[in-house]
Amino acid sequence: MVEIVRYLLGGWLADWLIYLIAYIIVTTILLIVAPLTMMMQVWFERRAVARMQDRLGPNRVGPAGLLQSIADGVKMFTKEDIVPRAADRWVHLLAPVIAVAPVMFMLAVIPWGRGVVPATINVSVLFVVAVSSVSAVGLMMAGWGSNNKFALLGAMRAVAQMVSYEIPAVMALVGVVLLTGTMSMAVYPELQSGIPIMGDTLSKYGVPDLGLGWFIFTPVGFVGFILFYIAVLAEGERTPFDIPEADSEIVAGYMTEYSGMKFAVFYLGQFVLNYALSMIAAIAFLGGWQGPGVGLLVATGEPFLVFLGSALSVLYLMIKAWFLFFVMIWLRGAFPRLRVDQLMGFAWKFLLPMALVNIFSIAIWVSILNWGSAQGLWFLDDLELWMRQLIAFVVTALINGLAYYGLLQLNARPKGLTGADLAEEQAFGTIGLPQR
Amino acid sequence: MNLLIMIIFLLISALILGSALAVVMVKNLIHSALWLIATFFGVGALYLLMEAEFIAVVQVLVYVGAISILILFAIMLTRHVTGENERQLYQRWWVALLVAAGLFGLLLVPTLRNYTWQTLVPQEGGSSGIASAQELGRAFMSEYLLPFELASVLLLVALIGAIVIAFEERSRRRRVLTLAEEVALRQKQREQAEAQAQTVESAPSATPES
Amino acid sequence: MTAETPRTSNVFVVDRGEPKLRGGQGLLAGLGVVIRHFGKAFTKKIESPAESSGLFTVQYPEERLAMPEAYRNFPILLYDDQTGHELCTSCFQCERICPPQVIHMTQASDPTTGKPVPAVAEFIIEYDACMSCGLCAEVCPFDAIKMDHEFELSNADHSTMTVNKAGLDRPISYYESIAPTMWAEVRDGAMKKLQGNMKRRSGDIGIAPPMKGKVQTSAPAPAAAKPAAPAAPAKPVAAVGANMSDEKKARLEAIRAAKAAQAAQSGGATPEVAAPEASAKPVAAVGANMSDEKKARLEAIRAAKAAAKAAQEGGTAPEAPAPEAAAPAPEAPAKPMAAIGSNMSGEKKARLEAIRAAKAAAKAAQEGGAAPEAPAPEAAAPETAAPEAAAPAPEAPAKPVAAIGSNMSEEKRARLEAIRAAKAAAKREASNDES
Repeated sequence: MVEIVRYLLGGWLADWLIYLIAYIIVTTILLIVAPLTMMMQVWFERRAVARMQDRLGPNRVGPAGLLQSIADGVKMFTKEDIVPRAADRWVHLLAPVIAVAPVMFMLAVIPWGRGVVPATINVSVLFVVAVSSVSAVGLMMAGWGSNNKFALLGAMRAVAQMVSYEIPAVMALVGVVLLTGTMSMAVYPELQSGIPIMGDTLSKYGVPDLGLGWFIFTPVGFVGFILFYIAVLAEGERTPFDIPEADSEIVAGYMTEYSGMKFAVFYLGQFVLNYALSMIAAIAFLGGWQGPGVGLLVATGEPFLVFLGSALSVLYLMIKAWFLFFVMIWLRGAFPRLRVDQLMGFAWKFLLPMALVNIFSIAIWVSILNWGSAQGLWFLDDLELWMRQLIAFVVTALINGLAYYGLLQLNARPKGLTGADLAEEQAFGTIGLPQR
Repeated sequence: MNLLIMIIFLLISALILGSALAVVMVKNLIHSALWLIATFFGVGALYLLMEAEFIAVVQVLVYVGAISILILFAIMLTRHVTGENERQLYQRWWVALLVAAGLFGLLLVPTLRNYTWQTLVPQEGGSSGIASAQELGRAFMSEYLLPFELASVLLLVALIGAIVIAFEERSRRRRVLTLAEEVALRQKQREQAEAQAQTVESAPSATPES
Repeated sequence: MTAETPRTSNVFVVDRGEPKLRGGQGLLAGLGVVIRHFGKAFTKKIESPAESSGLFTVQYPEERLAMPEAYRNFPILLYDDQTGHELCTSCFQCERICPPQVIHMTQASDPTTGKPVPAVAEFIIEYDACMSCGLCAEVCPFDAIKMDHEFELSNADHSTMTVNKAGLDRPISYYESIAPTMWAEVRDGAMKKLQGNMKRRSGDIGIAPPMKGKVQTSAPAPAAAKPAAPAAPAKPVAAVGANMSDEKKARLEAIRAAKAAQAAQSGGATPEVAAPEASAKPVAAVGANMSDEKKARLEAIRAAKAAAKAAQEGGTAPEAPAPEAAAPAPEAPAKPMAAIGSNMSGEKKARLEAIRAAKAAAKAAQEGGAAPEAPAPEAAAPETAAPEAAAPAPEAPAKPVAAIGSNMSEEKRARLEAIRAAKAAAKREASNDES
């Protein structure tokens, strides 16, 4: 964008003004894309979850109900904005803003396509994690500012959930940082070219670049993806972790006292957060904008084909993000809700240890790929890269599988106890897990 | 360029100072916490101005994302929040001002006079100095390894302390039994009672009747 | 622990055995179920409520569910398609039973005589208070009021919710189309009752408004003159019963005199009091209004009876005159009725006389045939005489028993004979005891 603006207006404007204008244009585009995406998401979710429930979704407003989101938006605009009399006015007003603004920040560092990154920073992964933790403050403010005990309780539960599930998410992303060696998300898709599992280590043997060397095809990437996706579900408050927003749970949680446009802002933020996190999951584990054809088109070097390749890459990222969103909807249609203590236990007792083990196996992977006799592993010296990859594949698959099985055993309910023993010794959080 | 940086610096500093003042001057404790969050953001912006991206983001992550939430939880759960009836300025406020100014002057003036600040000119393209993530990581693993390990031990101590404080012994944990479990429990209790009764009976019956 | 509650029933512990350690297979199975539903929802639409997957949305108002036959919404009144007569006789049963009391009706009356006629003059139902319980349809003895299936009655004008007879009337074909099985169960009885009621309605009373002016009205009252009737031999009036009380006799004479005066007024011949005579009972001519199958059935029955009688008596078979089509006045003598039994009580005799007189009058009005003759009770020789009636003469000449009617079925005849035998035996014993 900076280049485009500089090309258009570079003659008579100072440099910093060019940058400013460029970034303003980019921001405007992002702020238009986000609500439009949210409207499409709402329509998609309502229609898809309806079909899963053997019914049609909204189909009266506009063809196939496409204008339903607009009708909902108009409704929320025209609703009366009610603020409880004893509520803290400014806190009540700022809470939706602080809960939703970080989500928009997130959209700025995501590589939407090849060469389409609004802002390239070196530590974009860390940036994403940082801003996602800021929205927790917004939730806290929402719960407090409503002057409502139930809203406060709901907000505390929501914040506890968000904070607890940030950790496995960050750990999974740290694993990807280890794999790739950089925290800049814009680079991740480029590193996932090639063929499944092997990546592009075989490219020198003439294997074409299929753009399918995604991290999810490796055992460490697979486990990391599952961990990250589950944590993303909890961050975005989707079923089965949607205790804060479910109707039957403490009214509407921290959103109880919000009506009209403020509620619409919360709703918007939630959907855009889910979409942004789906995109990040796609970038980190599913190859982002990589896909069959992009590499080939770009490698030709002709401007038109390169442009086509970039457009194709944008399409690929969109497909992957929408597919992940569809899986979120699928999970919503299939699973009941977790209780809050089950939720917390799951995060701290299962996901976090699994994430730590995953980091350990990623470290092993990296070491097998890169180390040699200098670090004391003389037997790795003469092996080709693909051979190293295979060994690393097997070793990490073993470690991860054992850890998974071990954690299941660890968290299972002890068997052979009578009711009295259960009453005395049963840890509260392992009810519902299978018997050992 | 320097002028722009200066202007931005002054703006950010004004934000920081204003928020900090508001932290100590507003009556509502929650509002104080929120102004503190603003202060943290300001400090993060300053770090960004100094091209320390990593530290800026970590500042936001740690301070705003974690510590301020902790502070909010602590405020909400522990004390009476709205102190509207309390006076914000004591009667002898000038004594406090004198003492504070004196101490601060004692700290600041010699430092300003004797220390030469080494300001780095911002370089285009790429990060500089030790502020990049890679450099920081390398430093942690080589030069500052001991503080790194000590910090992790400190975190472990904090975790264990939290668990110890919040831990409930299992025997004191109440749990609602399912119907089957309750039936089994009653059965067991009944059997125990019977066994006890039998032992009680058998004891006196063992003694020969005279 | 939980609070102590008294156990009222047994507790069954369900032992599911030791569950296996699961690594998330259940979750995936659940996802599979849901995605199958998702796929089916695009391809299949549920036809019957028993199916478990597939789209079950009925997109009202473009698609509608078929209502079951017994679905009840608001009541409607039925009228016959061909004759146009409403089945309702204004018996007030539905008005009585309606819980919110929304049915209101008035009975029609004959404009000339002022007597009530089994038809309804005005019928109003307040649909807005009707709760569609269907009790009116359940209780109607004439199957005249039925529950409709129409529920899309929303209207901005409240006054349309009070519906009168013109709005309630529907042809039977309509009801048959919405509830065929239910109508088929009650059709015969309802039509039979309708026929009976139609006879008592004069003019266009009881004809539904849509059909007024399109169907022929029924014949006027029997007392009115029938222009086509020639000077047919006037129907002989039945002989006065021998057991009638005096006052009854007087009343009967009075009625007959009045009738005679009326007939003389209208121009018919004065009926003669026929002498009771015994004669072979000829069979009635086939009615002109009978349907073909009914005619055939009637012929068959008569043939059977004739055969049976021939076998029994050996006497001359009664003559069955050939059925004549559409002749307003078949010449065959009408069938004589059974002689009035000598064992009947006085009032029963009088009632029987009256009924027979009415029937004769109606038949004469229709056919103008010869009146049935009632043989004298004394002249009828009892079929089964007491075998030992020659015992010391009873106090009175033995009351001759009524001749066995020619219309009796075999079993009825057998029963009658058995009863008479028993009575005779009892009489013998009584007489034996006496003597």
